[in-house]
Amino acid sequence: MSGAILPLLVVLLLVAAFMRGDFALTLVYMVIGGLVAGLWWARRALAQVETRRHFNTHAFLGEKIKINLSVKNKGWLPLPWLELRDSLPVALAGPHSFQTVTNLGSRSDANFEYSVEASKRGYYPIGPLAISTGDILGLGESLRAENQADHVVVYPKIIPFTSVEIPSYSPHGTLRHALPLFEDPTRVFGKRAYISGDSLRRIDWKSSASVGQLQVRLFEPSIALETFVVLNLNADDYYYRSRIDSMELAIVIAASISNWIIGKKQIVGMLVNGHDPLGTNSQPQAIPPRKGKLHLMRLLETLARSEVIDNSALVPLIQQQRHQLAWGTTLIVITGQAGDDLLDELYQARRAGQNAILILAGRSASDETVMRRAKIFDIPVFPIITERDLKIWMQASKHV
Amino acid sequence: MNQSSNFNMTGNEKAFRFISYTLVFLMMACFAMTIGILIQNAIPGWSSDIIAGITLFIVIDRLYTYKRMKFLIPFSREWALTLGAQWVVIVLFTKTLLSFANGPDSLIGDISSFTRGHLANLFNLEFVVTLSLAFLVWYVSGQFLGLLDEIGLDQKSALHEASTLVQKDILPAHQRLVNLTLQVGIGLVIMTVVTRVNLNAMLDQLDGSFTGLSRFSGAETGALFYFIFGFALFCLSRLISLQTRWNQEHILVASNNMARQWGMYSAFFLLILIVVVGFLSSGNNLGLFSLLGILFDFLIRTLFFIGQLIFFLLSLIFSIPFILLGLNTPFRYILPHTPTPLPPELLAESALPTNNPMLALIRSILLWGALLVIVGFSVARFVRQHGGLQATFRKIPIANWLFFVWQWLSKNADKTRRTLSRAIVDAWQSIVSRPDGKRLFPRPDWINLRSLEPRRQIYFFYLAMIRRGNEQGVERKPSQTPSEYAVTLESTLPSVNEDVHLITEAFVKARYSPRKINSEEANLVRAAWKRVQRALQMPRKPNRNQAKTKSEQ
Repeated sequence: MSGAILPLLVVLLLVAAFMRGDFALTLVYMVIGGLVAGLWWARRALAQVETRRHFNTHAFLGEKIKINLSVKNKGWLPLPWLELRDSLPVALAGPHSFQTVTNLGSRSDANFEYSVEASKRGYYPIGPLAISTGDILGLGESLRAENQADHVVVYPKIIPFTSVEIPSYSPHGTLRHALPLFEDPTRVFGKRAYISGDSLRRIDWKSSASVGQLQVRLFEPSIALETFVVLNLNADDYYYRSRIDSMELAIVIAASISNWIIGKKQIVGMLVNGHDPLGTNSQPQAIPPRKGKLHLMRLLETLARSEVIDNSALVPLIQQQRHQLAWGTTLIVITGQAGDDLLDELYQARRAGQNAILILAGRSASDETVMRRAKIFDIPVFPIITERDLKIWMQASKHV
Repeated sequence: MNQSSNFNMTGNEKAFRFISYTLVFLMMACFAMTIGILIQNAIPGWSSDIIAGITLFIVIDRLYTYKRMKFLIPFSREWALTLGAQWVVIVLFTKTLLSFANGPDSLIGDISSFTRGHLANLFNLEFVVTLSLAFLVWYVSGQFLGLLDEIGLDQKSALHEASTLVQKDILPAHQRLVNLTLQVGIGLVIMTVVTRVNLNAMLDQLDGSFTGLSRFSGAETGALFYFIFGFALFCLSRLISLQTRWNQEHILVASNNMARQWGMYSAFFLLILIVVVGFLSSGNNLGLFSLLGILFDFLIRTLFFIGQLIFFLLSLIFSIPFILLGLNTPFRYILPHTPTPLPPELLAESALPTNNPMLALIRSILLWGALLVIVGFSVARFVRQHGGLQATFRKIPIANWLFFVWQWLSKNADKTRRTLSRAIVDAWQSIVSRPDGKRLFPRPDWINLRSLEPRRQIYFFYLAMIRRGNEQGVERKPSQTPSEYAVTLESTLPSVNEDVHLITEAFVKARYSPRKINSEEANLVRAAWKRVQRALQMPRKPNRNQAKTKSEQ
């Protein structure tokens, strides 16, 4: 409020009270009326403004997200000016934010469209939308209201793998395997003459009858690839200079492996040791192994939301989770650095009949000490320093 | 994000300038009218009408020349010449008119005094007061026009000033315009009051039997319309100031007809205000249009008077050769009839006292209610401004108890109000949303964000570190990432290695992660920045590479 209004009103009231000045009273009404009516109008009109935002809440990397903002004045009072500022995440919109000014007549609406680019994985708030207006005389301060933010999920980058060397001890699956140990009786790929020592169960009696010689069925070996991806986003386990890049790489690896496994119609579960804004206690829950596209979307959404966490050890989480996994399950642990405790835990998993793979993401991936120790424990280690290193899984497979 | 280009105000600039100049002229006309009436009442011997005409003429001159004069550099040669010439003309014009108002002989007498060097005779009280009023009007008009330009009437200079001046303690130009208008208004009200006092009667009856308070002097019209035009100017300057801010912040104006709609809303708002106020005041309600008529009548006649004056001066100049040759002049020096601010019949009509007791009661309730509110507001503000007073009050047991009672009452009242309003809103929503099963949009909450968010604070400290680093010779290359720059800075400032790392980490987190940043993190960064700042201020030994380069040189 202007500093001169009060002295003016005091002078006017004194004049009106002591000098019987009707004109002073008129001016008192005018000044107070102008001030009060202007502020009341602005407050009342702002309270009647309704805003809605429509957009796709999920997007893949590189997609353009169109946001439709509709602003409606539900009341009879018009709004001479209405300033709209929608806070947009820097990662999607850059330094810009949506800001515009309009005026709304009584019971009218306005629609705005703007877009952001899903250029970085994450769980981003769109908003809050700040709307402000003020009195027409400019005697009071601007009024401001804020509406809740909506959220958009940008899925992580997925690299299409063609082959990943993931060992499995689970027989009777759908994936072909080189070892005859995992022969699947439902996958007949040919017949041959009976040799002494062949199991009688393998004899194909119909063929034998037609050929006039004993024939045995040949089975294709196969495995079931039940996998559990463990992603470590604990800050201390990544080299601090390249922490952000390394973690993003780890997330890309986790997303791509999950995509590949689901593509193979196998089951995959996931445990992320990171911060999840929607998780219980801000931490994501372990996702049990399942198959199917819907399950993949759930995994990707968890990965999209996951952020770095401080002081959260991975080993106790694996210990806790390992006992709930089936025999023969392959544990794929993606981390920045691996200590002895982690290698020991993976060794224990191997001893318990589960497989373990260690994927080291980031600049410290080529740590010779870790490689040597993992070799002692017989745990396969894949050092992935940059995305280019993932080409090893984009080439034709030898075994799987 | 895509956003199209910004709003263009140049289309409206001419219209805005015309309207605002007209409003300033009308406000100053009200001012001149009040001055004229005041002089007429206080010193009947003076040429009050001519003084009012002169002040109005100066306003017109100021409006006309302001745009050209504002580009002159103060105290420069050209500025001094232009201003000097303008004021010489004003002084001569004023003196000529005032002299001639007393007849041609008076003018000739003044000219002869001037030629004889008796300059002191020329500067009588009437002339000095008129010149002072002329300067006052000239100055106030200039202030109005200057503020309007600063608000954004001159968009180019307004935007330029906003980009070069970052002085947060200065009030916004619109606020200063409001203050100036109201301050001039206070002066006008006081002058109006003085015009209602019959000074001559008061001076004659100093024995205490004074009853010289007139009911209606006519200056009220000036004061009332000054405020009405002032409010109209507030509306316009508010739009201009908003548009300037939107241009500064590159905010897109989506509406094509905003200025037109604004004008319509302003006119509607002011009209309703005037009608309601006219009804409430009851003393002048029926005379509203009469008052408007008085003002415009005064204006038209004043303008006509100025036109006649110009014609008169021209005729005087053309007559000089005839006078010198001793011939009869073809022109007659008849000073035009000066405008009288208020016809007597209208005075009488407007001065009717109020007869309705109900309206009188409402008026007195409103008057004393407003007075109580203002006094209460002032006392509360005074106590708030003086923290010691509040503490002293708290020490008094009764005051303390009253304070707690007040707190309890206000808290409970607020709670009840919220519960009630929520219940009403919920009930209304359930009624409204029942047919289609939808819930209405939640009511927005009011917030006030003034301080920087923790995330922004971290940005600030990191950027401060880069800036101070640059000043100390540890420049950040455009190609360097925050981590790479941290390495460079750490090698230069090994003592605050950890702090540089902490600030960089926090910045990266704040910049690239949507995770919420709390104030504790910002405080940690602030502490780290202080240590880094101290280290940067300390004289440093050149590092190995720099020393090597220098020795090679």
